[in-house]
Amino acid sequence: MPTLQHISEWIYTTHLSTSIRQSPYSFPAIETIHTLGIAAVVGTVAILDLRLLGLVMKKEPVSRIARQLLPWTWAGFAVMFVTGLLLWIAESQTSYSNWAFRTKMVLLLLVGINPLIFHLTIYRKVNTWDLANVTPLRARLTAVSSLVLWAGIIVFGRLIAYVNS
Amino acid sequence: MNVLLGLSHWLGHTHLGIFVRDSSYAFPAIEMLHLIALAVFGGSILLVDLRFLNLGFKTQTIQAVARELLPLTVGGVAAMAISGVLMYAGSPMRYFHNPAFQVKMALFVIALFVHFSLQILAARSKSLPPSRTRLFRTAAVASLLLWFAIGFSGRVIGYL
Repeated sequence: MPTLQHISEWIYTTHLSTSIRQSPYSFPAIETIHTLGIAAVVGTVAILDLRLLGLVMKKEPVSRIARQLLPWTWAGFAVMFVTGLLLWIAESQTSYSNWAFRTKMVLLLLVGINPLIFHLTIYRKVNTWDLANVTPLRARLTAVSSLVLWAGIIVFGRLIAYVNS
Repeated sequence: MNVLLGLSHWLGHTHLGIFVRDSSYAFPAIEMLHLIALAVFGGSILLVDLRFLNLGFKTQTIQAVARELLPLTVGGVAAMAISGVLMYAGSPMRYFHNPAFQVKMALFVIALFVHFSLQILAARSKSLPPSRTRLFRTAAVASLLLWFAIGFSGRVIGYL
């Protein structure tokens, strides 16, 4: 763990980090784009989750929805990741000890594992339930955990700023 | 303007307004709900507009996408409006004179009209003549720019 702390402290002293901190506009501007990136990711993921739960686009095959949403989810993810990295670079030292930030990182890891398991298991047999209004239990469980985890990520992400002060 | 000012004063003095103002947890909690609603709302708005631009969900018709996502865009905007009013009630005068807030509200009224008139029109249509394509594309670009600007000015409120 001290290694991570050392990296965080070193990043904090870099030119990029200080310049984001010293500019009155950089941080809020990056933060806004970060928030909208999250909206693109979570919004598109939520629509797939709601389809898995049989709540929207019931007539459309699950795989077809997933395939069409994915490019936009990844685009949003790229925006969220790059801006998130910049925000972390600016505040790396304080983020390290921030419990809301730490929780958010753990939830992010979990929300990444979730679709991985989904794709390696139940989604492999998607052709057997592609058109089902109500999808298999494991698919619905994936959807619920995805929705809960993403909500948690938003909550803890916002908390970072409240805990810092 | 006087009506809005009077309404704002009244809202700030209701039990709800006083509760939001005095509690140290109410504001952050409402703000988080506002952001969760933003995620669902923003994503579904994006997908409706991408369909209007012929860039996403092409296997479904414009009408089907507009209809299927209407509960999400309407529900999302309602959740954001309710949580927004609650945050406003906590200290109306702080926001009433905030230029970023004023810009956000003006853009919000325009965006509500532009986006939802088109989405509802599409959702209710049986078939869309090709001549409508340009209308939908223009509206989608306007909608995306407006919602983006609303998000941006929303963030600026806290910095002014």
